[in-house]
Amino acid sequence: MKQIDKKVADAYFRERVRLIVIFLIIWFIVSFGIVMFAESFKNMTFNSFPFHYFMGAQGAVATFIILLFINAKVSDNIDKKYGISEEKNEQLSAGKALDH
Amino acid sequence: MDTQFLVSLSIIIASFALYIGIAIYNKAKETSDFYVAGRGISPFSNGMAIAADWMSAASFIGMAGTIMLLGYDGLAYIMGWTGGYLLLTFLLAPQLRKYGRYTVPEFIGDRYESHTARVIAALCTIIISFVYSIGQLSGSGVVIGRLLEVDAKVGTMIGVVLIAFYAAFGGMKGITWTQVAQYVILIIAYLIPVVFMSLQLTGNPIPWLSYGKIVGQFQELDQQLGISQYAEPFLKGSKWQFLALMFTLMAGTAGLPHVIVRFYTVSTMKAARWSGAWALLFIGLLYLSAPAYAAFSRFILIKNVVGQKISELPAWTEKWINTGKLQIADANGDGILQWQEMVISNDIVVMATPEIANLGMFVIGLVAAGAMAAALSTAGGLMIAISSSFAHDIYYRILRPNASEQNRLLVARISIVTATVLAGLVALNPPGVITQIVAWAFAIAASTFFPALVLGVWWKRSNAAGAIAGMLVGLAVSLGYILAAKYGGFSIAGIVDTGAGIFGAVAAMLANVVVSFMTKEPSQSVQEEVYDLRYPEQMTYKDGQVWMR
Repeated sequence: MKQIDKKVADAYFRERVRLIVIFLIIWFIVSFGIVMFAESFKNMTFNSFPFHYFMGAQGAVATFIILLFINAKVSDNIDKKYGISEEKNEQLSAGKALDH
Repeated sequence: MDTQFLVSLSIIIASFALYIGIAIYNKAKETSDFYVAGRGISPFSNGMAIAADWMSAASFIGMAGTIMLLGYDGLAYIMGWTGGYLLLTFLLAPQLRKYGRYTVPEFIGDRYESHTARVIAALCTIIISFVYSIGQLSGSGVVIGRLLEVDAKVGTMIGVVLIAFYAAFGGMKGITWTQVAQYVILIIAYLIPVVFMSLQLTGNPIPWLSYGKIVGQFQELDQQLGISQYAEPFLKGSKWQFLALMFTLMAGTAGLPHVIVRFYTVSTMKAARWSGAWALLFIGLLYLSAPAYAAFSRFILIKNVVGQKISELPAWTEKWINTGKLQIADANGDGILQWQEMVISNDIVVMATPEIANLGMFVIGLVAAGAMAAALSTAGGLMIAISSSFAHDIYYRILRPNASEQNRLLVARISIVTATVLAGLVALNPPGVITQIVAWAFAIAASTFFPALVLGVWWKRSNAAGAIAGMLVGLAVSLGYILAAKYGGFSIAGIVDTGAGIFGAVAAMLANVVVSFMTKEPSQSVQEEVYDLRYPEQMTYKDGQVWMR
């Protein structure tokens, strides 16, 4: 076990948090934001749907799925940048919780 | 007994045999390499298991019908039940995985260093899972009722026996792979009818691309029939109700004990992030199809059923009238069925549509099997959450710490059977439709666990007194609002019982913060543990310094 500069660790945490904040803002806009102004979108159409209906039935859900995959991928890259090895992580967490 | 009955029954029995076979096979394998299994299930498979655990009778049987009857306003369920996975995956799952406990009450008890908090969390788990399982049993009642052509109440009683048996004997071990199989069956069963209807009605087999045209046509059709506009927003409830319901379902998702537990079965924080992504992709397949299901069913009903002579209605109507979930009354006595003269329960739309659209016996049987898979997999997860809260967190940790292993197992089984029977009794006369009952479970989860978990993970100053106050206030506010709104006609800004979670969650959050500040801060070691959750497994926080292994 070696000590690392706390600034480095905090930079890691800041990068992760910045990502989460950006994603949650998008999450809020495509769901709550669109609903808030649903009446003003109803004359716009998208793929023959009224736009507000499209967002509720497909647009928001598709955005959520894409955000989760981007998050997983970008977080992996952040881990790599800070030299985190997944194998080591697996060893360290083994036995901390088992299958149910 | 007709051929349809035999076909449906054999598909259901075959699928049950598959689940039981998988459970037995995995049990044998797990003992041989028990420790390797601790390394975890791949995020991809875990995603399917989460999806099956998560998608209940409400998603499978109830949701499309709810959207069909509510139009745009029903989409709150679609966004709410998917958007919650972002809160869960960003704010909770990886951190809870690193903390590494077995159940949610265990996390709360240890993080807040309090037996009182542990007991309250265990009680909340029992309440949430109990309310949720009422919806599952009522759903299996609809399926079995239709299959045997008996009243849904009789179907519910049969469902109680099935689920109690399944959860008490089959559900203890090896449940992951059973759930993977249940996911595959339920998603195939859901997609086949939608794809065929899409082909029938639009000539395009991809429902997600084709049903926009149908939704577009409703404007004119609804006007002709003089019924409320399908895509028009906020006709069945206020805008605030829509937003409150969406919030309730999202925050509730992030606080559901039986779903959080599934994130403990993967190996690391990274795997937890990937599990969340795969889970929502698999869930999305069904959730993106539900509005298509709703639109196609509504279109077929308007085109082929409404406007017919009541004496000449197709044969499927009679079977559903027998279950008590479809009512047809010729109000104006002209012998012709009007849209308004048909009372169709939300809960039968998915089950009835294959018959309405003439999709054939095999598809009808497959949908019944899929619905049973959805009800069973979720009921299994819920019953295990109830029994582990009672047998592990309350009975063993608090009441009888020296109880023998055998004794605890017996208590666990008794609690599963008792909970199933009690939930079944309530489900005989369900206090609402499936999606509504399930929304109450989410309101309670959003008001108790969501604040306690988010603050527990992200705010080290939050302490036992705060968590206890938060959970109790949240429980009281959400239960109080549900009762007052449902039976007392009380409402704030048009928000009805299903949106109660917004008030409960805000009240619980405030109570937790205020009481935490008024009382002593948590111990140094707990604060360090919470700080440590910021970093991946390889980094450890200790005495203000970060160490890397």
